[in-house]
Amino acid sequence: MRLVANMLDRARPLFEEGGRFNLLKPVFDAGDALFLSPLARTSVAPHVRDPLDVKRVMTTVIIAVIPCILASVYFFGLRMLAMFVVSYAVGLSIEVLSAIVRKEEINEGFFVTGALFPLILPPALPLWMVGVGVAFGVIVGKEIFGGTGRNVFNPALVGRVFLALAYPRAMSGAFVEPGSGPLGRVTQYAVDAVATATPLAAAKGGDFAPIPNLLIGNVTGSAGEVSSIAILLGGIFLVAVGIASWRTVFSMLGSFAILSAVMHGGSLEIVGWHMLAGGLLFGAFFMATDPVTSPMTNAGKWAYGIIIGVSAALIRNLTGYVEGVMFSILLGNIFAPVLDEAFIAASLRRLREQKA
Amino acid sequence: MKLRGGHNIRLAGRPSSEIRDLPAPSRLLIPLRSRRFHMTEIRVDDGRKVAAGDVLASDPENFRIPLLAPRAGTVRLEALEGHVVIERLEPFDVEHFDGSPAGGMPSHVEAARSDPTAKRRALVELGAWQFFSDAHSGAVLDPSSVPSGVIVSTIHLEPFVARGDVQLHGRLDEFARGLEHLQNFLEYQPIRLVVPDLATPFAKEIREAVAGYAFVQLVAVPLRYPFDHASVLARHLGLPHDLEHPVWAIPTAGIFAVDRALTFGRPVTERVVSLGGPAVDEPVHVRIPVGYPIDDVLANHVCREPARVVSGGVFSGDAMGEDRKGLDTETAGLTVLAENRSRHLFGFARPGWSRRSYGRTFLSGIRPTFAESMNTALQGELRPCIACGQCVDVCPAGIMPNVIHKYLYADEIENTIDARVDLCFECGLCSYVCPSKIDLRQQFIDAKRAIQEELEAIAEAEAALEVEA
Repeated sequence: MRLVANMLDRARPLFEEGGRFNLLKPVFDAGDALFLSPLARTSVAPHVRDPLDVKRVMTTVIIAVIPCILASVYFFGLRMLAMFVVSYAVGLSIEVLSAIVRKEEINEGFFVTGALFPLILPPALPLWMVGVGVAFGVIVGKEIFGGTGRNVFNPALVGRVFLALAYPRAMSGAFVEPGSGPLGRVTQYAVDAVATATPLAAAKGGDFAPIPNLLIGNVTGSAGEVSSIAILLGGIFLVAVGIASWRTVFSMLGSFAILSAVMHGGSLEIVGWHMLAGGLLFGAFFMATDPVTSPMTNAGKWAYGIIIGVSAALIRNLTGYVEGVMFSILLGNIFAPVLDEAFIAASLRRLREQKA
Repeated sequence: MKLRGGHNIRLAGRPSSEIRDLPAPSRLLIPLRSRRFHMTEIRVDDGRKVAAGDVLASDPENFRIPLLAPRAGTVRLEALEGHVVIERLEPFDVEHFDGSPAGGMPSHVEAARSDPTAKRRALVELGAWQFFSDAHSGAVLDPSSVPSGVIVSTIHLEPFVARGDVQLHGRLDEFARGLEHLQNFLEYQPIRLVVPDLATPFAKEIREAVAGYAFVQLVAVPLRYPFDHASVLARHLGLPHDLEHPVWAIPTAGIFAVDRALTFGRPVTERVVSLGGPAVDEPVHVRIPVGYPIDDVLANHVCREPARVVSGGVFSGDAMGEDRKGLDTETAGLTVLAENRSRHLFGFARPGWSRRSYGRTFLSGIRPTFAESMNTALQGELRPCIACGQCVDVCPAGIMPNVIHKYLYADEIENTIDARVDLCFECGLCSYVCPSKIDLRQQFIDAKRAIQEELEAIAEAEAALEVEA
């Protein structure tokens, strides 16, 4: 503790005004804030504050995806770690650059995007594509709008949509067989890329993967979405600690289940299968619940979840696409400000009658 | 301090029920400025001898409410910037001062016994009127105003201001007598007496003490912050904001002041002040005269340096600047907090066993409530709003702080007004829970003032146009 503090104190003058590395001040500040809690004091009442800060919120999300990260390494090999490294390296460089340009502090938001992005990609995707995707997602999905807190779309999904549209063949060809056995592919670096169909794609041909496999995760799919148990483990934790909104998760999964049941003639087995297959759970717990790109009003969150759940069910069952969650969440992101506008207007109407 | 939804913020250093008399001061440092008052009209000469109760200064902006000399002594005007200093204090007999009137009573007080107008004047001249405030705005009341409602509150919940039960203990007779006086010049308007909705022996005692008074309407409210704010009570009781006929709000200490002024004709120059907070060794209540040097109060009780001294509670009180040396007439509590001076390795990622949070990411959530030693740490870095919605959950006014913040950030004043920033109670809970560390309370206070000024400017311009026409 003392050691770290001393090191930081010794380095600080180099980054201050007139110092040799003044340009890199946001980097220093981020490192400083990462190691040591801030010295900042309250300047106005209330004089004491709750200990929760944005860094802790983001850290909690990362803790919640750890089961998914471990599962992805188990099923798809150590190369996953390289994907995380690329995602963080490219994304953070852009974050740092924009912090320098904007003369703001580096925002914690990227740490979540950087961890989530590889998890929604096909596991055998070339590393350079990971870099290009995260760069597009962060620049177009976030920085153009003014950084974390002001973005309209979930940056990770923007990056993935870009890759899916720009390199459709590479994307669909990068789904590979998961490992199995006690060590899975933990001892392997890469999988020999033999493209296989994801459960949803196979299901179009009437070939349904067994539900236990969907639960455990030894199926083909995007790196983080395969193991439903890992997702539920982290996702329920995230909802329980109040970081992910239960309203969003519940309404999205609920509306999806109801509509699927209607379309499949009430077959619970198929509904259950669809709930576990593909990116639905991962999207519901980790992508749709991003507080910045979802509505801020509670009523808005219900409507937002329903929009996503309904359109995911429609896309999956009625269109040529096998997976609809990514587009559905982006659609929900588009609606989020509109929903807020409507529900805020409604609450303001109620407030208007209230006397001071 | 409980909040809606059951979250409980327990700050260490809750003042005990003991009311302690501090040693006689060597001199008094009486601030000319306090939260609402600015005593610019000096009404004594430098070097003059004054008696206890003499007028030292008054506030021309606030109905010439006077600042009284708490003790007899020699006045020094230049000794300390922004203060009137009284030196060479004459020996002072507390018993005598508190007891029944000795010698003749000032003539206006005699007259006050019958005439309601004279009673009001006596309250102003004896320093009791300043306890009265407009329930909605907190502003000083016009002594001649006719109230549309009167709220007397015995609950003071914010950590820490002088507690109602402590002040009332053993003095219920005086309290009841004060209520009688008050009723007398209100001309039969009901007084709404706010008591805790609990069946504690003490609450029962209060009820019994006022049982015979038909003019007292008991209002039981939950002991939940911010139910001690007058504006919350006024809205809870359905008493609207009315400039012509304001809602009067009077705290416990105000009723004792009325009793003292109207029963004995004595000036009100002493206060029971709470002295609490995590940096206080022995949190108690103290009875001290206005002008008592703050340093002397702290010298005996505060252990940790450097500390921030807050006049009032930690949620809505103001930090006392270096320039404030003595107790002012409005402070109901001194809350002392250590300044944040230490940094913790990976502070944000710690399990959080010893820190309570409104959110649920801290391990302390599984512990029973414990008194917590907080300091002035901001607990994080300022960030853009992440729309987590915690401020909406805690807001007792039912407004949406995050939405108002968004409007203010975009400088959309019309929308800010529509979002009813005027309903804000200034309780500070939104700022407390904000993970982005945004000073929402301060932003709303500033916005309300800016809107008020704008409206006044518009009204003035319209009036000027009318005159021209």
